[in-house]
Amino acid sequence: MASVSFSQIQKSFGKTPVLHGISLDIADGEFMVLVGPSGCGKSTLLRMLAGLEDITAGSIAIDGRVVNELDSKDRDIAMVFQSYALYPHMTVRENMGFSLRLREEKRNLIEERVAAAAKILNLGPYLDRYPRELSGGQRQRVAMGRAIVRDPKVFLFDEPLSNLDAKLRVAMRSEIKALHQRLKTTTVYVTHDQVEAMTMADRIAVMNEGRIEQLGRPLELYDRPANLFVAQFIGSPAMNVFDGAVKGGAVEALGARWPASFSKSGGLEGQRVKYGVRPEHLEPASSGIAAEIVVVEPMGAETELVVKVGDTSLIVMTRGRSTAGPGDRIFLAPDPAHAHLFDAASGLRI
Amino acid sequence: MSAIAIPHPPLAPKRGLSTWQTWGLILLAPYVLVFLVFVLYPVSYGLWLARHPESYKTLFEDPVFFTTVINTIFFLLVAVNLKFILALYLSGFFVHERRWIRWLSVIFIIPWAVPAIPTVYSIRFMLNPEWGVVNSLLFRWFQIDGPNWLTDPQLAMAMAMLVHIWKALPFWTLILMAGRLAIPKELYEAASVDGASAWQKFKYVTWPSMRTLYVTSTLLSLIWTLGDFNSVYLLTGGQPADKTHVLATLGIRYIRLDQLDHAMATIVVALPFVLPMVYFMMKRLSGDEQKTS
Repeated sequence: MASVSFSQIQKSFGKTPVLHGISLDIADGEFMVLVGPSGCGKSTLLRMLAGLEDITAGSIAIDGRVVNELDSKDRDIAMVFQSYALYPHMTVRENMGFSLRLREEKRNLIEERVAAAAKILNLGPYLDRYPRELSGGQRQRVAMGRAIVRDPKVFLFDEPLSNLDAKLRVAMRSEIKALHQRLKTTTVYVTHDQVEAMTMADRIAVMNEGRIEQLGRPLELYDRPANLFVAQFIGSPAMNVFDGAVKGGAVEALGARWPASFSKSGGLEGQRVKYGVRPEHLEPASSGIAAEIVVVEPMGAETELVVKVGDTSLIVMTRGRSTAGPGDRIFLAPDPAHAHLFDAASGLRI
Repeated sequence: MSAIAIPHPPLAPKRGLSTWQTWGLILLAPYVLVFLVFVLYPVSYGLWLARHPESYKTLFEDPVFFTTVINTIFFLLVAVNLKFILALYLSGFFVHERRWIRWLSVIFIIPWAVPAIPTVYSIRFMLNPEWGVVNSLLFRWFQIDGPNWLTDPQLAMAMAMLVHIWKALPFWTLILMAGRLAIPKELYEAASVDGASAWQKFKYVTWPSMRTLYVTSTLLSLIWTLGDFNSVYLLTGGQPADKTHVLATLGIRYIRLDQLDHAMATIVVALPFVLPMVYFMMKRLSGDEQKTS
């Protein structure tokens, strides 16, 4: 186990800068998720930690030791790749024991460690099979087994669940989380899926265009997004956001008055803002803001409604089932405690 | 009641050919014709010419034939293996994504792309011991008299192999490059993280992935090299004293001596070399197809 520290990390590919001075401290045993859209630099940051990309500027330290100039093999890390990257000509057993074999460890020790990892991951019956004879989920577990066997200081995961189907992804999510709780190894996990980030992380770093937009615990990001990007990236379905202006203690937008609780009352009067409200905080009520239902999407435990207020489409999430249908008119009652206001120009939280 | 017409494939008439079968035969006919005229007839005619046991007796008694067989085996083993080891090494260099390497690869391909006859003749002129550019430069730079490149049998044979390698190397390098490019980059990255050195990456990632391609290509190259006439004939013409012939050029020697049956017998004695290679080659290819299907 070890801490990881990124200090003012910059990366350029040729003349194109992709990371603009990232600083991030990951505590010993922490499960840190780097999340963001494609091209935000999250995988590049992880690969720099793994020693697979050069560092243009800044420093990376593992357990207090700067590793900028160290080869991957000397960093005491293990990595799980999106494509699993299993050696196709080796059996599961050989794949898992490969790093120890390269270290010229004794055969007994390799056998022991592989058996222990196989037990944790339920891979016992598959040890003599080749990767091509395994399903996607089993291959993923072998890739994790290969990482576990090394007993590294840090686990790195680069979008490890992206190639799995939805059901298996949910199952593997729990397995990885359980594995972390068991081994308590510092983990850096890259994903573009905010649900994965929310469900697995101790802390999340939301990245965009080579910068960290916000760093915090999952529910902190959900409840108090620091800016519009985080507000719209975290949460599924995404937060409803629209333009408005502060007037008399509320926000006038879409031809209606939207209640909000202001942290800085007074000085905001007349200011152009973006009003944000999550779908589940926009409950249908007996009175309030008039809206017309466009689409009803029943999901069993809850129902998603696409409604129109003026010309703008909003998403409403209600608990239970809805008897309403397309074309019906309903009233919305936004919860002022859960309304989010952002500066219209900078996008920062007010 | 209205009947519903169900479409079904045309039924074959009981007598004669169906339209499909007739078209099949019509489309097949040109190929069969080409095969009969350009493959079956010449091969059968060649075998018929080589039917006399005396031809083989004379052939085996000819000391040139014995030298030629040794030369051929030597040429195949050394030139093909050297070519493939070099191609494997160079393919690893040319897969690097650098602009200058891309340009260099274009230059590297030229020997393969240019026609054989003028280039091999050019080399022959360059190697002329009296007025060739190689010996002139050796004398100008080092004040030494260069060797008789093409009149010393061993040296002439070595030069022929060199020409063969120089001409065929770009092609096989390209083939092996394609094999290398098909290996996922992540495997090398995983190996780096696992602690593999450059040699271990080659041993555990590159070679297992390329082995089938390498062996199949080598077999194919052995077959092609056995039939490589240009590298030897255009450079040495089998000289000096018929000591640099290979089986591919020996036939021409007999034709020039007006011994067509001996020429054909030379080709027939090459068959025990060629047929097993063709067999293994086809077996490997069909085996690979089954594996990937």
